Amino acid sequence: MRSTRARTELGPRTRRGERLTCLFSVFLFSIFFGALTGCGGGLDAPLPRAHDGDETPRRGGTLHLASFGDIRGLDPAITSDGLATPVLSLLFAGLVEYDDAGKLVPALAERWEVGEGGTEYRFTLREGVRFHDGDELTAEDVKRSVERALSPSTPNPNASFYEKIAGYENYTEKKLPHLDGVRVLGRYVVAFTLAEPDATFLPALALTSLRPVCKSGGERFTDGWHPCGAGPFKLLPGGWEHGRSVTVVRHEGYFRPGRPYLDAVTWTYGMGIVTQRFKLESGEVDALQDFSQADIVRFQSDPRWKPFGTFAPERTVYGQAMNVEMAPFDNVEIRRAVAAAIDRDHFRMVSPARTRTAYQVLPPSVPGYREDLPGRQRYDVAAALEHMRRAGYPYDPATGRGGYPNVIPYYAYKAGMTEYTAQLMKQDLAKIGLQIEIRILSFPTWSALTRRRGKAAFSEGSWQMDFPDASDFFEPLFSGKAINDEDTSNNAFYKNARVDALLANAHRELDPKARAAMYDEANTIVCDEAPWAFTHGVRWYVVWQPYVRGYKTHPILNQHVVDVWLDRESERRAAGAPGGARSGLGRALGSLIGAGAWR
Amino acid sequence: MFDPRARARFRRNRAAVLGAGIVVFLALFALLGPLLVGSDPYTSDFVSGATPAQNPAGPSAAHWLGTDRIFRDELARLAHGARLSLVIGVAATVIASTVGAFVGIVAGYYEDTPGIRVPWAVVACACGAAALAVFGRGAPALGVLAGGALLWLFSARSARTALRSGPEVTADTALMRVVDVGLSFPFLLLVMAVGAALDRTTTTSIFVTLGLTGWLGTARILRAKTMQIKKHDYVLAARALGQSTLAILTRHVLPNVAGPLIVIATLSVAQMIVAESVLSYLGVGISPPTATWGHMLFEGQDIYQTAPWILACPAVAILLAVFGFNLLGEGLRDALDPRED
Repeated sequence: MRSTRARTELGPRTRRGERLTCLFSVFLFSIFFGALTGCGGGLDAPLPRAHDGDETPRRGGTLHLASFGDIRGLDPAITSDGLATPVLSLLFAGLVEYDDAGKLVPALAERWEVGEGGTEYRFTLREGVRFHDGDELTAEDVKRSVERALSPSTPNPNASFYEKIAGYENYTEKKLPHLDGVRVLGRYVVAFTLAEPDATFLPALALTSLRPVCKSGGERFTDGWHPCGAGPFKLLPGGWEHGRSVTVVRHEGYFRPGRPYLDAVTWTYGMGIVTQRFKLESGEVDALQDFSQADIVRFQSDPRWKPFGTFAPERTVYGQAMNVEMAPFDNVEIRRAVAAAIDRDHFRMVSPARTRTAYQVLPPSVPGYREDLPGRQRYDVAAALEHMRRAGYPYDPATGRGGYPNVIPYYAYKAGMTEYTAQLMKQDLAKIGLQIEIRILSFPTWSALTRRRGKAAFSEGSWQMDFPDASDFFEPLFSGKAINDEDTSNNAFYKNARVDALLANAHRELDPKARAAMYDEANTIVCDEAPWAFTHGVRWYVVWQPYVRGYKTHPILNQHVVDVWLDRESERRAAGAPGGARSGLGRALGSLIGAGAWR
Repeated sequence: MFDPRARARFRRNRAAVLGAGIVVFLALFALLGPLLVGSDPYTSDFVSGATPAQNPAGPSAAHWLGTDRIFRDELARLAHGARLSLVIGVAATVIASTVGAFVGIVAGYYEDTPGIRVPWAVVACACGAAALAVFGRGAPALGVLAGGALLWLFSARSARTALRSGPEVTADTALMRVVDVGLSFPFLLLVMAVGAALDRTTTTSIFVTLGLTGWLGTARILRAKTMQIKKHDYVLAARALGQSTLAILTRHVLPNVAGPLIVIATLSVAQMIVAESVLSYLGVGISPPTATWGHMLFEGQDIYQTAPWILACPAVAILLAVFGFNLLGEGLRDALDPRED
């Protein structure tokens, strides 16, 4: 009785606080006991196929995918981040695309011819190709979409890929209203004229940037346009719930007969990696590529799951981007000190199964990669201390005296390895007299901030291969032409005349050996001047449920699902999570630990 | 402050004594733990802190509670996290209790005093300024507010009653409406919004944010208590003898609301520890590598099957702290209630 009376005296805030405390306690209890019950626990069995042995593709069903991050946009003219690209490649078809072997093949273009001297590409479009809004694709649409994407008012991070198109400068400097190098030669024929030969023109054309968009996209980029293209899937109104998910549905007018097989594809964003794993096991997510180190090992070592998982080719390079326009990284010696101070082997220990150490621009899967590159970066604390001395900030590790006097903000995002590698780097840099303060942001905020001029002196940099050529790494990351104020891909704002000249020459050079030599020299200069401290590369491990048929990794593309079909027992899906090896209690606790409700 | 009967009641309550014991233990752990644990909570041990498979090492002689995701000593981080959690919990509670007590006592004491008539035009200006402020238009909001003040001055001197008409506002009404508005916001959402708006979050910004958003309930309770006390004979006598309001509030009202205030504050420490942990867990708390229990929880969740101690240690610590402060608060509530006899 007394307790009841006493409690009635407490105000609503206090009662609410008690409830909150109580709820959180339940959460913590579940974590504690979930951790205990989960120790050494195995994976649920994969969900079976409905028609094992029958390889005839079936139409229908929705493929569910997930990611810890979030996308910033779905306009191909302004979006290049790795998370949005799989969605863009489903919404927008290109003139040319990659086949399963990574070879360029005609897509919206039925065929193409290259003129003498390699400066003219003439594309003949397929007739009767329909956009999502029902309009027919014509050569005019191709020209309009290219001009829209390269317009000076469009913040296109990939624009520098296309600067060899004749008239590019005049157009982007607003001297001419149209792009001379793109000409309509007929209703279904469009020609691209280049100012000089360009070894990367076709691979760059396979990117999503210049892909044709519906007439509703207009002549110029505008905010708020509803994405509409000629890809295998279309986005219906309300299909993109910002910050949560994107659902695309089959475009019945897609030019490849019978494709795609799926009714729809849904990406759910902002889902923690543990939650993703539980949802994969329960069949709520059908394929997965965000993994903790422990889960990679678990899936690889489970014979039931092993046939349905594989590593994708390594296409990434990660590093610590130092803005050369901002102190203290306007001092090249400080940058060299950072590059020499970071122990990459320790970075690798955060997730050894899928991480390699990196000391140069290119990952091993890119033609021209040289393991023994002269002048590549290396871990050498003594050299780092010497660079600090030359920078004017000598540091004595024995006494802790000296070093750079100010604390440097380092921007990271709350997902994946970044948060941990940042903390390891902080330890390494403290040993040479550099103090950093880690600031954790959401991925979209981090992405916007680090691509804006004068905002972030120090942050993680990363690049995922768009096409297998060294230019795809060098030009967006380290060419002066890739710099712009708002949405630059060169987030170190690095500019070197010699590197720019080498990249320009390599771009027009058609002899592979000569090109490789130029990229080697550029690589050596970049490693020496260290706009990035190259640290690691990550390869995706991909796992899918057995009922997801035709799912495979692609040599170039990420999450390429046009040929995927579902072979799942419908009643199982309708019933929700099937029974597995773990008990219902274990699953419930695990789900709580997955923290879906808390994130 | 506590009379012998209250102390005796507290000692008889085993749960309360257990709560006090837990709180003392945590305080000692926070105070002495970082000194006694030899390891540095911010330095990775790649030799004995990692297994041959390069996973975090479990409990061993070198690391009693194992190592964390990047091979730092879990016990050392737990001890430093204890210090931080308790500092934030106590400091935020001190702020919340001080503000809440001040607002509650003033509102309760002036509850039945005549208020000021505020013209409707001024009310409209205040609402407009608030709306502008919500949309981030600080300067125009100040301008509208200043305009409202001038209008008020003008209407006070005006002979036209229509200009002067409006609601009567007492100190109690004004303060309690502020409390009502504050209570209508979900507490954690409010704290998260403030946390996200800050460019960088530090220990100070966290406890100030928690303190300045956590006083509302305290104010509401102390207002009710003050309204009871001010009607007692000794307060009326003090007023009749001509004691100043300040003296009455500090000598007669404050000591008599101290009991409930202590109880609320004790319970509040637990809530503040939880709030800080939730913020850190969600990523809007103090940035790494600072050791906080909430962030340790976050770091442990994706490898809990390989290294369950990373998750279990902070979870148990938070549970223990909340349990201890709640038992202590409830024990104090019962001990300080004279009707318990």
